[in-house]
Amino acid sequence: MAGFGIGSEIASVAATATVPITAPPETPKLPPREWVKANLFSSPFNSVLTVVSTAILLTLSWNLLKFIFNPIRQWNASATNLRLLMTRAYPEEQYLRIWVCVAIILTLAGSSMAVWRTGSAMPVTGLGRKLLATGALLVLLVLLAPFSAGATVQWLLAALVVAAVGEALRRTGGRGETERTVSTLTLQVVALAGLVASLWVIPFGHHSYIPKRIPQVMHEPGTVALSTKLPWTIMLVVVVAAYFGGVLLRDRLAENALRVTLVVLWLLAPPVLVYLILRDPDFDMGHVIGTDIPIFLAYAVLGSTLLLWLTRPSTGEIGRIVAALVLLAGFATFLSPMRMVLRLDLLLLATFALAAPTFAGGLRARKRYTGAWLVLLGVMSWLITSINTASTVRVPGGFFIGGLAITLMVAIFTIVLSVPLGIALALARTSTMPIFRLLATWFIEFVRGVPLITILIFFSIMLPLFLPRGMHLGEVAAVIIGFVLFSAAYMAENIRGGLQSVTRGQHEAAEAVGMTTAQKTVFIVLPQALRVAIPPLVGHCIGVFKETSLLAIIGVFDLLYMARYVVPGQTEFMGSARESILFVIPIYWIVCSRMSKASQRIEQRTGLGER
Amino acid sequence: MSDATATEPTGGHTKDLSRARDMILCEDVSKWYGDFQALDKVSATIKEQEVVVVLGPSGGGKSTWIRCINRLEIHQEGRIIVDDVELTNDLRNIEQVRSEVGMVFQQFNLFPHLKVIDNVSLAPIWVRKKPRAEAEEQAMALLERVGIPEQAHKYPGQLSGGQQQRVAIARALAMEPKIMLFDEVTSALDPEMVKEVLDIMKALALSGMTMMVVTHEMGFAKEVADRIMFMEEGQIVEVGTPTHFFENPTEDRTKLFLSQIL
Repeated sequence: MAGFGIGSEIASVAATATVPITAPPETPKLPPREWVKANLFSSPFNSVLTVVSTAILLTLSWNLLKFIFNPIRQWNASATNLRLLMTRAYPEEQYLRIWVCVAIILTLAGSSMAVWRTGSAMPVTGLGRKLLATGALLVLLVLLAPFSAGATVQWLLAALVVAAVGEALRRTGGRGETERTVSTLTLQVVALAGLVASLWVIPFGHHSYIPKRIPQVMHEPGTVALSTKLPWTIMLVVVVAAYFGGVLLRDRLAENALRVTLVVLWLLAPPVLVYLILRDPDFDMGHVIGTDIPIFLAYAVLGSTLLLWLTRPSTGEIGRIVAALVLLAGFATFLSPMRMVLRLDLLLLATFALAAPTFAGGLRARKRYTGAWLVLLGVMSWLITSINTASTVRVPGGFFIGGLAITLMVAIFTIVLSVPLGIALALARTSTMPIFRLLATWFIEFVRGVPLITILIFFSIMLPLFLPRGMHLGEVAAVIIGFVLFSAAYMAENIRGGLQSVTRGQHEAAEAVGMTTAQKTVFIVLPQALRVAIPPLVGHCIGVFKETSLLAIIGVFDLLYMARYVVPGQTEFMGSARESILFVIPIYWIVCSRMSKASQRIEQRTGLGER
Repeated sequence: MSDATATEPTGGHTKDLSRARDMILCEDVSKWYGDFQALDKVSATIKEQEVVVVLGPSGGGKSTWIRCINRLEIHQEGRIIVDDVELTNDLRNIEQVRSEVGMVFQQFNLFPHLKVIDNVSLAPIWVRKKPRAEAEEQAMALLERVGIPEQAHKYPGQLSGGQQQRVAIARALAMEPKIMLFDEVTSALDPEMVKEVLDIMKALALSGMTMMVVTHEMGFAKEVADRIMFMEEGQIVEVGTPTHFFENPTEDRTKLFLSQIL
């Protein structure tokens, strides 16, 4: 079997060896001159390549710098419209909600970093080398940039300081046994603190847009507005505090339970933040007490009784039949008009009922399973109620958020929802049941054969016509559904590739110990398949994030649309499209490169190609 | 079947199996892969506590037969009855048989994403519905029995082949099976690791486990088997005690096989 390849042999030798291993001889470092000769000018072809590519790179950077530092550039277009680019027309007096959301996400991020023990030790010499290289690059860029003489000298000094600090670190870092290291987390905090401090110290200028009868663009010298620098300072404090809080929890509580809790919180965060905090539903308490809570209680009581019975090992075959009947009843509810929440709750119950035999066991296991159902039911009821309640946040035209916020929201919802759907489709396509296989294959091939834009237009314009009476779907929700279906079809194919990499021996071993097909899939096949599928899956997620810019076609104001049309469309900033686009490029890049880094880390964690 | 007690024992086969009940019953079992007939009317009875070693040249149908017994392969004709349960398309029967029959494979087939202890305790927890603590305690006891408790928290890829195969045996034993099937379990091992696995199998045989072993280890067959079955071209050619089989085989094909390997 492939899993026990050469790599694992070496690992096993290393793990079991008791003989002290002598360190391999250190490869001597080449002096710079010889390094250049060996790597850049080793052959005539290589020399030509080096010269030509250096010339191209220098020309490109020179032109880019000339573009950026040209005095006619309207960089204040992005600075003034920062709020528009981030959240579109979210009302200023409610902006605290945005910051609360950011703080919650940062809290989760900080404590997750502690619980999952991210960050590693970086040798000080390595850090010094990087700073030195950065300084050298800065010197080069400053010399290329069309600065005035005074500015050139200032920037050169700054670059030289960076390089000098790097060189000092490199020399004092020590090597071998005496090597000093620094945590990458510390570095990140220092860097972030530097950025936040720069908001207070460096006069970036105070840009603002005053939407009076005659709109006015203000540009005052000095540091940025208090409404920018104060929240970001608080955010820095929040994330650092969350990290230390995470460390405290990690050392006191069971790590596994903590991780599960955090994953659940992460999954709950998107709907809760968007629909409860940002949207701020205006609950009608009479309706809540009169209708919503009774529905929840009825489902809670009936569902718990049913699940407690279904998870009894003695229930047997009749349980499966009952579960199938619940599912049929769930589908049948679509034939007659009724509250959406009744249908969705019934479908959720059917899902739990179908999975019940797999989780059958002792009283504790049964109670835990029923508890999971109750929690999920509660969250779902709360969400459905709040989505169906009018919002107090009034935003002219379209959805209540836009810009980067909606780009992130659509991307996150799409990714989170399409992963399980993709897994289900991949399993259906590889299953032995012909109906599932046929349906999944048709769906996947159909969706892959249709352009994404067609699907988005279909879901935003046509879908409302097909919905049963009394059912409404917001445009953004409809578009997300279309996006999820599209993305799931592609994910399914990636996951199918992973499924095929699981050897027949693994299936047989699972069958030989008496596992049912469901148990085999959940415990043996999927974990291995997903591990193999991580690189293509993350690649796909990056694609989804970038494809959200297609939302502009159906009139959703995403980040790129704001930068390309809305900001340059303002009278004050006519023709600033290139500046705005150049401004959003790094935003897209940062998000995508983070995802790619995360993928590499997950691959390392799960030991892809090792065990 | 009483041959085992009639001849002079050379090893562990001193049991009186004449009154033991039938654990595995095969009647005219046939199987084809396309046009190729892998099993040709194989009939045999294996008693409780009996150790049967199946010998024969490669491609003779040994592995196919043993894999039919817990339905990793589906036989097309004949009947297979394991512990009074007949293997049919009924999923419940298959699940019941599989939970009572342990199997160890040539390629170990450990679950590479799970630690050794989870490899062993997973099935008891989810198939036998044991509480996790109890299952892990049992898993540790089994790992001790196969001599590698110190590896419990490593991943299979960090273990040597012999250790992995011992984990595989512990994994099969964790389901408390009535029958153990061994499919060429030492063929993928380095020579110095073969013994550690065979020793565990011997100990298991002595403890009274019903075992069916496909192997090329003649020493093991001589020492441990109650009966030896010789298979070639999908048929059982000769059946007998080790003494009978190795010292005076009756069939020409058996003699030819023995002359080639001994």
